[in-house]
Amino acid sequence: MNTFLDGLAVEARKARSSRVLWSTGLLLVLGANGLAATMVLAARSGDAQLVAKLGPQAAAGDWTSMLSAAAQITSAGGLLAFGVGASWLYGREFAEGTVSGLFGLPVSRGRLAGAKLVVYAGWALVISALMTVILLGAGIAIGLGVPDTTVFAGLGRQFALGVLTASIAVPAGWASSLGRGLLPGIAASVGILVLAQVAVLADFASWVPFVAPAFWALQPAASALPLLVVPVIPILFGAATVIIWRRLQLDR
Amino acid sequence: MTEHALSLTDVSRTYRGGAGVQQIDLSVRRGEIHALVGLNGAGKSTLMKLMVGMLRPTSGRIEVLGRSAAEADPATWSRVGALLEHPLIYGELDGRTNLQLATRLRGVPATQRGPMVEAILAELDLGRYASVRARRLSLGNRQRLGLAGALQHQPDLIILDEPTNALDPSAVIRLREALLRRAGAGAGILVSSHHLDEVARIATRISVIAEGRMVGTLDPDRIDIERAFFALVHDAMATTS
Repeated sequence: MNTFLDGLAVEARKARSSRVLWSTGLLLVLGANGLAATMVLAARSGDAQLVAKLGPQAAAGDWTSMLSAAAQITSAGGLLAFGVGASWLYGREFAEGTVSGLFGLPVSRGRLAGAKLVVYAGWALVISALMTVILLGAGIAIGLGVPDTTVFAGLGRQFALGVLTASIAVPAGWASSLGRGLLPGIAASVGILVLAQVAVLADFASWVPFVAPAFWALQPAASALPLLVVPVIPILFGAATVIIWRRLQLDR
Repeated sequence: MTEHALSLTDVSRTYRGGAGVQQIDLSVRRGEIHALVGLNGAGKSTLMKLMVGMLRPTSGRIEVLGRSAAEADPATWSRVGALLEHPLIYGELDGRTNLQLATRLRGVPATQRGPMVEAILAELDLGRYASVRARRLSLGNRQRLGLAGALQHQPDLIILDEPTNALDPSAVIRLREALLRRAGAGAGILVSSHHLDEVARIATRISVIAEGRMVGTLDPDRIDIERAFFALVHDAMATTS
């Protein structure tokens, strides 16, 4: 009896039918790309006032502008969207009362929590891949031309940014488990976003795990070395989440 | 084979503020339906939570199918079926899928899952809800589905907290028959309830809990069972105060 695989199969089946995960993911994919395309189109309209408002990175109205806009939106909007997903995966069991049915089973709660993390990672990979493919399609559709190798490198960076942003949203699942509901996880996502906005002002910003993905994605010339600190967050908070579930008692 | 499907020895669990259960001795033999009755807040749910690990005892020993509950392995828990508080039902999934996931969580081999689900759908007359998303079901039907999930794998130990909550009379009869069949096949069953009449119909033994302590037993065949119940409860309350 491989109870982890049983737990994983159950969690994957629940995720497949989840309106929350699909609608949040699609909102991110369509919202980020739609906004990026709109900004580039606005820049290409030639309206001087509008171009001034969009700033120097979007002003060119080319692939670089498109990638930059998408990265900016993903680093903030993606954090919230992935945070909602992580919060929901764990917090729903408390909010809907189903957590009481997860005791007295061959599949332990620690393994279920681990299975949820794997499902979350799979969902984040799918959403990040979709976001990248649709970004490519949207760029071609609005007339940015056939992408060259630099653009493909940028698209690769956009995919990585999606995955890395999902990684730093893992604490939302931990907060949902600790606070036993959905809202603590959402609050944690907002908190991480605020923390990142503040930390970006520091001299060592590129080495702060919550800032490193956006810093790297928005500055193609920057070193990728600081990204090595990012896995610390999902490993630390993923393990802490599993421990919470393993030791869980319904005493409050 | 151990005689007891479940046994609690000198089990206590105290919440902050002093409430909880104290020095509980309780057993459920194989083939019997043991009913646990008490007023609201008497400690029934706390006691059942301790049995499935939702709470850990402050002291005492709990054995599930002959193994310490704290150390029971997956094979042991696969022989347990429990429904406490909310049914394990996910609104986005239909009835059949919910039951299939319940078999998976209880370690049922792949080849047995399909027939097992169809059998319980028929046994509890849930066929018409098999393809309906659970979020569209009434409270009573969600409870029936939760009970189906707890009973379908023919567990050797069944623990049900207020299982007839929200059930209509027809569903109550179906459940009663399902429990009697499983007890007849050798399962040990513990059921908590407020309804003395209901438990008197199926229980082999009735234990009374009050103020967090086991205060006595009732004979299911006794005619004035309600009077005997209140006598036990009032004695316990008088002793405590």
